[in-house]
Amino acid sequence: MAYIRKRNRNIFLVFMMPAVLVLFGTTIYPMIYAGYLSFRSYDLAKLFVPRVFVGWANYQEIIASSEFLHTLTVTFKLMAMTLSVQLVLGVGIALLVTQRLPGMGIARTLLLIPMMISPVIVGLVWLFLYFPELGYLNYFLSFLGLGPYAWITSTDWALWAIAIADIWQWTPFIMMGTAAALTNLSPEPFEAAKLDGNSAWDVFWRVTLPQIRPVLISLMFLRAIDAFKIYDIIFVLTKGGPGDTTEVLSMYIYRQSFTFWRMGVGAAASFVSLIIIVVLITLFFKSLNREAHQA
Amino acid sequence: MHQLTTSNKILVYLLLAIVLIVFMTPIYIIVSSSIKPTPIMFQKPPAMLFEPTWDHYINLFTARPFGKFILNSLIVALGSTAFSLFFGSLAAYAISRIRHKRMNDVAFWILSMRMFPPIAVVVPYYIIFKASGLLDTPLALIIIYSTANIPLTVWLMKGFFDEVPRALEEAASIDGYNLLQIFWYVTLPLAAPGLAVSAVFCFIFSWNEFIFALMLTGSNAQTATVAVMSFWSSDAVQWGRIMAGSFIILIPGVIFVLTCQRWLVRGLTMGSVK
Repeated sequence: MAYIRKRNRNIFLVFMMPAVLVLFGTTIYPMIYAGYLSFRSYDLAKLFVPRVFVGWANYQEIIASSEFLHTLTVTFKLMAMTLSVQLVLGVGIALLVTQRLPGMGIARTLLLIPMMISPVIVGLVWLFLYFPELGYLNYFLSFLGLGPYAWITSTDWALWAIAIADIWQWTPFIMMGTAAALTNLSPEPFEAAKLDGNSAWDVFWRVTLPQIRPVLISLMFLRAIDAFKIYDIIFVLTKGGPGDTTEVLSMYIYRQSFTFWRMGVGAAASFVSLIIIVVLITLFFKSLNREAHQA
Repeated sequence: MHQLTTSNKILVYLLLAIVLIVFMTPIYIIVSSSIKPTPIMFQKPPAMLFEPTWDHYINLFTARPFGKFILNSLIVALGSTAFSLFFGSLAAYAISRIRHKRMNDVAFWILSMRMFPPIAVVVPYYIIFKASGLLDTPLALIIIYSTANIPLTVWLMKGFFDEVPRALEEAASIDGYNLLQIFWYVTLPLAAPGLAVSAVFCFIFSWNEFIFALMLTGSNAQTATVAVMSFWSSDAVQWGRIMAGSFIILIPGVIFVLTCQRWLVRGLTMGSVK
């Protein structure tokens, strides 16, 4: 590396500066600003002028309110629902499409399409399917002897309605990552395991799964980070309703800030969400590092 | 990996057929409903053969200026892509070449900027843009989308720059090229596929984005995703127009999947899968 001398290192830092400054200005600064807002109270008549310093009052209010606790519960419940189904389905489909049979490439490509669709469009097409009285989903399910369900209007099914739309869009992500990991595996352990007379099921649990586990963990953290931020699909399908059945944290922040115009409370809730996401991101990077060390 | 018996092959295809039917149905519904006459929109069993109508597409562009909203989406997506590629690839080059133990932390910090919840910063953005007069302008969205697109570009381009042989750069250095010339004439052309992949990811992300566009634009800078949502109102849902608009919006993503799916793993899994 003769050409990377001390002088050049400074030039590299100059290369890096614009991006770092832009990111600082557009991400860190608004976060600090959100922190500032979270200690203020707002006058409804002068919405965008932070008024009174209220100390921890906004934080005390959200922590004491059962509504905030409820939104956190809903957020993590939805996360558990979508992640578990996506993991099982995604790995299952990956095992199918990695079989060496004709046509698998096309199937794999087609299955990737949902991921690239705008979440609003995903929400709208599922709204069409769920639509009370008219929607096709209950019609399709009637052939299996199921339903009809009041998908988006009943407290029993609304959260599942959102979960299903998310599962439809993001199962392909787990499928894609798992399929790539499976393709990278070396064949020897499989040959050995089969020679030992293990069934396909045993080979999967004892040989395949341990090898792809680090990848699966990283993929699940990425999904968890996204699931924690879910907003668009809920905005389209239920807007948090019926009642507050599907009110996730993002929806709560939105409602406090833009429906009730209580920006201080919204900012305090935002800050709590930032802390949780930092934990998730840190865990993701830890899992990536662990993966790198194992490889 | 292993040989399947005939009955197992049939089982694989059968399961895969079910998976494909389930996963492709919503896409089929968008396409078919966008050309279905309104009276048979919810007909059961669903009408498979019908006289297609282009009314929904015509209404889409005549009832509201949907063309203008698409243009807004294009301006924002292209603007943010250009901005992100420029800053992102410069930073990625530096991160790829500087040998320092903290460099990994810098890369992770930049990547983490992509993962923060948009909703947590939308209030500060709203206030800042309102104060600076940028509310409801494409520039506001270009700036915001770049905060997600720069980290992605840095992450992707770092991988591509890592693969460019150092020997070539050293040779250019001996020939008297300075660092910027090496970057511009030697390294960047060799990482051109990376630029293309990053550009497509940035474009699709910006094109599909909804939350910021919804909250930070009004009638002037409204993007296509927000416009499509506005055809939904509880008294009269105009499904035909919604589906026609949805189909137009999903075209870039589908083209991307069909043409460069092998890059999707790299772009979406953030290094989880090599």
